[in-house]
Amino acid sequence: MEFAEVAAGKVVSTSAVFLMMTIVLLAVSRRVSTSILVFGLQSAIITAQVAGTAFLESSREAWAVAGLLFVFKVLGIPYAFFWLVAKLKSSRDVQAVTSPAQSVFLVVLMIFVSYAVVRSYAFGIRVPEDALAAAVSLILTGAFLMVSRKKALVQMLGLLVLENGIFLAALTTTFGMPLIIEMGILFDVVIGLLLMGIFAFRIRDTFEHLDVSRLRKLRG
Amino acid sequence: MLLLLPLLIPLAAAVLVLTFRDRHTANRAALFFCLVETGAIGRLVWRVHTGGNLEGRFLRADGLTSFFLVNIALISIFSLSYATGYLRHMGEGRFASPRWFYALVNVFLFTMVGVCLSANLGVLWIMMEATTLASALLVGFYNTEGAVEAGWKYLVVCTVGIAFALFGTIVFYLAAVKAGMSQASALDWLSLLAGVSQKRFDPNLVRLAFVFILAGYGTKVGFVPMHSWLPDAHAEAPTPVSAMLSAILLNCAMYALLRYEILISRAVGPGFPGELLVFFGLASIVVAGLLILVQRDLKRMLAYSSVEHMGMIAIGMGLGGALGFLGALLHTFNHSVAKSLLFFGAGNVRHNFGTLRMDRVTGMGRSAPLTTAVLAVGILAIVGMPPFSLFVSEFAILSESFSQSRYIVGAVFLVVLSIVFGGVVHHFLRMACGAAQKTPPKPHFTGAEYAVMFAAGVLLLCFGVRVPVSFSALLRDAVAVLQ
Repeated sequence: MEFAEVAAGKVVSTSAVFLMMTIVLLAVSRRVSTSILVFGLQSAIITAQVAGTAFLESSREAWAVAGLLFVFKVLGIPYAFFWLVAKLKSSRDVQAVTSPAQSVFLVVLMIFVSYAVVRSYAFGIRVPEDALAAAVSLILTGAFLMVSRKKALVQMLGLLVLENGIFLAALTTTFGMPLIIEMGILFDVVIGLLLMGIFAFRIRDTFEHLDVSRLRKLRG
Repeated sequence: MLLLLPLLIPLAAAVLVLTFRDRHTANRAALFFCLVETGAIGRLVWRVHTGGNLEGRFLRADGLTSFFLVNIALISIFSLSYATGYLRHMGEGRFASPRWFYALVNVFLFTMVGVCLSANLGVLWIMMEATTLASALLVGFYNTEGAVEAGWKYLVVCTVGIAFALFGTIVFYLAAVKAGMSQASALDWLSLLAGVSQKRFDPNLVRLAFVFILAGYGTKVGFVPMHSWLPDAHAEAPTPVSAMLSAILLNCAMYALLRYEILISRAVGPGFPGELLVFFGLASIVVAGLLILVQRDLKRMLAYSSVEHMGMIAIGMGLGGALGFLGALLHTFNHSVAKSLLFFGAGNVRHNFGTLRMDRVTGMGRSAPLTTAVLAVGILAIVGMPPFSLFVSEFAILSESFSQSRYIVGAVFLVVLSIVFGGVVHHFLRMACGAAQKTPPKPHFTGAEYAVMFAAGVLLLCFGVRVPVSFSALLRDAVAVLQ
């Protein structure tokens, strides 16, 4: 029993570091499938953190959230993405604007920035600085992926990373929002992805490519 | 039940309307459900007006809710009546048939009513995000290159924007929890309203929350740096949907922002949120006012005009005071009536001339006199000419800015109004005058289309002369919530 408690505590306290590793991995990955796997890994780390918190606080709501996360974000969404990749038959490349080296540099810069931003708040509200910095850098990385990757699928993944960051911010500062609200948010995210998937098919059918940066008929 | 009914009817309608394969039956069913929905909303509004606020766990209604619900009911009747005639050219594609159109419109309606009725800031966010999801397919409904691009852009830009609003919601929740509220009540509107005046919220967190909320919901309102989705979506959507987007969706987003404005101005004083709103409002009217001048597409011009009017409303809200709130609220209503009228007119132009490019349409006055007349009324109203109602609300906002000695705000406002007047009237006259085109237009319009436009014109005129007594009672209730 004591071992389990120590393990849960360690999971909660070290997950921030692992999350930052996934950020760097996302920056270097050149293939869509790698990015999807890294996203799945990232969600798994967050799920572990929720489960660890649930165990330590012995809260049933948190267990429910962990279960939802596991089903949707660790299994469901990555699976759906792989299905989309297979169906859309697009190339494997993420079509990045920046080279992997530049991406890593920018992402590490974002981690530094998040630490700097978080410092003044983390002390005031008494939450671990690392976890909050990880959350903010996930948000920034998600936004970065959305502007620096031209393929529609990877932009969707960027949005999910951003959402993961927001979820983590809620988790570390307030142990998450009430369960029913979390469920609603997750529902919206899933529907949003479904719609983006529909639009990805439509983009491929009307334009015969998935490069969103080449959609520029509407201007001004 | 009173609160739940306006939400259940559109959902039921969305499912039922899918069973009608025939276009005419689908039309009639959609219109019927919309009238039932209006009845339910009317009952709710009447109950709130006579018996005070209705409170539930996740749903509630007060004066502000009623005001926006009346707006939603009116514009959805307009749009659906117009749609019954407008959809006759629509084919029978797999998801592009009238019944799918009506089903999606009803889901869209459900989400917007949900925004107005939500009693919980979390539910508010969920519903706000759902409005994007419900309307994205409507924006991309025609499935052309432009429509797909606009739909994708709309979905991505608004989802990211709304994600920032979620972050803002979390920060505000954190501030509430840190101030000593329980986790269960820290998102609940009524407890928060009591909480912000009794407990001490950390002002830094509250300000941070408002910045994110403003960036997030401001994306949906269409404030200037975040407005990029708006002209595309409005221009590419089917006309009844453009009208709904411009006339009620933007108002709903403004409503979400107002709910926060109320809380945050009580927590840290009205200065901070007010100044930010005025700043974004000024940025929106200046940029949109200049962009109106260079537009070539009629619907895009109308979309930028929506950005401009949302900016005016934000200025009114930011200035506050009796006239500021009153003018801004009245302006949301007036703008939605005028803008739906204009979009319907634009839909007629598209049917008549097969294009919305303003430089390719000439001699409209001769070949399509009724459409021109409708557009003329709408144009005069939207630029704020005196007999019409937008003049009243714009004048109220303007006089509030001068009475607070905010001369720069007032001056910018006036300059933009005159620029927009010049631009819009110039574009319109170029379309209306000149030689009629060689290809004769094909004006086959149903009575419903003209009836709707006529009703909107009459409303604009009536509200310009005198706001009806029943409506001003509604307005007073709404302003009371804001103050």
